[in-house]
Amino acid sequence: MTIEPIIQIKSLCKTFKGNDVSAVNEISLLVNKNEIFGLLGPNGAGKTTTISILCGLYTATSGRVTIDGKDVETDIDSIKQIIGVVPQDIALYPTLSAKENLNFYGTMYGLSGKLLKDKIAFWLDNFGLTEAANKKVSTYSGGMKRRVNLIAGILHNPKILFLDEPTVGVDVQSRNVIIEHLKEINKAGTTIIYTSHHMEEAEHFCSRVAIIDYGKIIAEGSPTELIKSNPNCSNLETVFLHLTKRKLRD
Amino acid sequence: MIKLIAAIKKEALILLRDRVGLAVLFLMPMILIFVMTLIQDSAFKSLNERGIPIIFVDDDKDTLGISIEQGLRNSGMCTFNNTIDGVPATAETIEKAVSDGKFLVGIVVPKGATAAIRNNVQLLVQETMGVEEATAKSDSVEIKIYIDPITKKSFLTSVTSSLREFISEIKTKIMFQTFSKQIEELIPDKKNAPGNAFNQSQIIKYKEVYASRQIGEIVPNAVQHNVPAWAIFAMFFIVLPLAGSMVKEKSEGSVLRLQTIPTSYLIFLLGKIKVYIAVCLIQFALMLSVGMIFLPMLGLPTLVIGNSISGILLLSIATALAATGYGVMVGTIAKTEQQGAIVGSLTVLLLSAIGGVWVPTYVMPELMRNISVISPLNWSLDGFYELFLRGGGVADIAMDSLKLVFFFVITILVSLIINRYKRKI
Ligand SMILES: Nc1ncnc2c1ncn2[C@@H]1O[C@H](COP(=O)(O)OP(=O)(O)OP(=O)(O)O)[C@@H](O)[C@H]1O
Ligand SMILES: [Mg+2]
Repeated sequence: MTIEPIIQIKSLCKTFKGNDVSAVNEISLLVNKNEIFGLLGPNGAGKTTTISILCGLYTATSGRVTIDGKDVETDIDSIKQIIGVVPQDIALYPTLSAKENLNFYGTMYGLSGKLLKDKIAFWLDNFGLTEAANKKVSTYSGGMKRRVNLIAGILHNPKILFLDEPTVGVDVQSRNVIIEHLKEINKAGTTIIYTSHHMEEAEHFCSRVAIIDYGKIIAEGSPTELIKSNPNCSNLETVFLHLTKRKLRD
Repeated sequence: MIKLIAAIKKEALILLRDRVGLAVLFLMPMILIFVMTLIQDSAFKSLNERGIPIIFVDDDKDTLGISIEQGLRNSGMCTFNNTIDGVPATAETIEKAVSDGKFLVGIVVPKGATAAIRNNVQLLVQETMGVEEATAKSDSVEIKIYIDPITKKSFLTSVTSSLREFISEIKTKIMFQTFSKQIEELIPDKKNAPGNAFNQSQIIKYKEVYASRQIGEIVPNAVQHNVPAWAIFAMFFIVLPLAGSMVKEKSEGSVLRLQTIPTSYLIFLLGKIKVYIAVCLIQFALMLSVGMIFLPMLGLPTLVIGNSISGILLLSIATALAATGYGVMVGTIAKTEQQGAIVGSLTVLLLSAIGGVWVPTYVMPELMRNISVISPLNWSLDGFYELFLRGGGVADIAMDSLKLVFFFVITILVSLIINRYKRKI
C-alpha cells in the first residue's frame, strides 16, 4: 500500500453556536490513500461533526483540512467532485422508488444515460434490491433503506468515500454484504472514512482507526496495534471500553 | 440541462404522488370560487342590478317629500321602502334599521321642509318684486341621510347629488309657482299661464356608464371579481405545499446530501420552481374554465375574459412566478413543516385580504386601498381587472407584471442568501 496522505486534518475545532463545549476539539489526523479509516467513539463524540466538516457541510471554527491537496475552506467545489457521502440519517425521498431516487442523485452527480442506468442496475442487483427497485422507499425495511442510502453515495465511483454508520440497524446478512462490497470498492482504489459503533466490524474492516471521545482523539493506530498496546484487552471492543470508560453519554 | 430535467422530474413525481396535496391544490380553490361567488352574487346584484335597499321617511308630506319619494321609486338605482318589518318607519327607528344592516341608506325628510323652501322663495320673490313688507323669514332644514358603512362611495355620491338635484328642482318649481302667482295677480288672463309645464318631465337624465375601453359595459359582478381573485389566491396558496416540500427535504436529509454533490443549489431550486409554475398555470386555467363554463350552469353570470390572450398569459405567468418565489422563500426560512404551513397560510391570507381578494379594493376605505398596493396579490388582481373589466391589453398590465416578476427575483435572491448563510453553522 502506498503511504501517501490524502486527507490532512490539523488542530480542527468546531464549537456550535450557542454551545460552550466544543463538539470537535483539536483533532489532528492523517488519512492515507486507499486506507479504510475508522472514526470510533461513543454517542456525541464528534464523529458526524468531523465528517460534516470534511465534506463541506459545516465550517470549522478553527484548524485546517486539506483533501487531495485542496483546502475545504476555499476549494470545496472541486473537493465535491471526488467525494461520496453516505449520511448517518437516511437521505432519500420516501415517496420515490429506489430507482427514481438513484436516478435523481446519480444525475446530480453528473452521470447520465446508459452508464447511469447500468450502474443503478448493477448496485441494486448486488445489494439484493432489484425486486423492490420500483417500490416507494417508504415501504422498505430499515436495512433496505440503508442499502439504497449507501448506493446513492457510491454510484459515481468517488475517490474518497465518507460513510457515517453505514451498517447501523441492519441484520447480519445485510451487514456482511455491505462490508464485502465496501471492501471491493476500496480495492478498486477508493479511500474510505467510516464511523461505527460496531467494534467487531471495525476491527476487521478498518486498516486504521482513531478513537475519539468528547471531541478529542484518545487513541490512534491499526486495530492490532491498539489491542497490543493495551494490556488485558483481547479485542477492539475491550480497548474501546477501557479507553472511553463505562459512563453513559448524551 | 440534464440535471435540471432530473430535478423537474423528481419534483413532479413527488407532487403527483401526494394525492391529498393535489386535491387541496386544485379542488380547494374551485370550491372557494363556487362558494364565494354564490354568496357574493346577491350582494353584488344589490349593488348593480336590483339596486340598493333604501328606507325613506317622509315627515314633510309636502311637495319635497313627495317628489323625492317619486324620484327614488322611479330611479331603478335602488329599491324603495318606507316600512321596517311591516311597521311604518319613523325618524327614530330608521337609524337602527340602517345600522342593523337592513338597509344600506336611510333618508329622512323632516317636517316643514317644503314650507321652509317655500318661505325662502317667498322671501326671495318679495325682495325681487319689491314688495314692501317682507313677511317671510329665512329658515333652514336638515335632510338626514343614514349610511351603512359598506355602501359603495360612488353610490353614495350619486344619492346625495340626486337629492341635491331634487331639492333645487323643487325650489325652482316653487319659485316658478310663486312668481306665476304674482304674475297672475298682475295679468288676470289665466289661459296663458305657464301652469304645470314643470311637472311634465325631468329635463336632464343621468345614466352611469362604466369607463371600459373596448368591451362597452361590463359591470363588476360576483363572477368577474371572484374568479380572478380566487385564482390568484389559489396560485399563492401553493406556498403551502412548496414550502412544505422544501422543509421536508431539509428534514429528510436530501438537502444535506445535495450539498455534498457538485451541483448548484440553484439548479435544484429551478427544478422546483418550474414544476410549481406549471401547477399554478394549470390551476389558473381550471379556474377560468370554472368561471366560463361551470358558473353559468348555476345561473350565475359568465366570466368575460376580455380579448387579450397574450395579456392573460403574461399576467398569469408573472403571478405564478411571484407565488413560487414566495413559496421558496417561506420554505427556506421555515425550520419545521408546521412553521412553514402557519407562516405560509397566515401571510397569504393576510396578503389576500389586503390585496382585495376577499373584499374588492374599490369598496375598501381609502386607508386600506392605499395599503393594498403592497400586496403582490393586489398587483395581479389589478391586472386582471384591467384585462377582464376594462378590456385592456399587454401594455396595460405590463407594470403589474413587471412588479410581480421583480417580486419573484427578490424572493429568490433572499432565499439564496439565507441558504448560504444557514450553511455556515
Ligand atoms: N447542528 C448542531 N448544533 C448544535 N450542536 C450540535 C449539532 N450537531 C451536533 N451537535 C453536538 O455536537 C456534539 C457531537 O455530535 P456528533 O453528531 O458529531 O456526534 P457523533 O459522534 O456523530 O454521535 P453519534 O454516534 O450519536 O452519531 C454533540 O454533543 C451534539 O450535541
Ligand atoms: Mg453521528
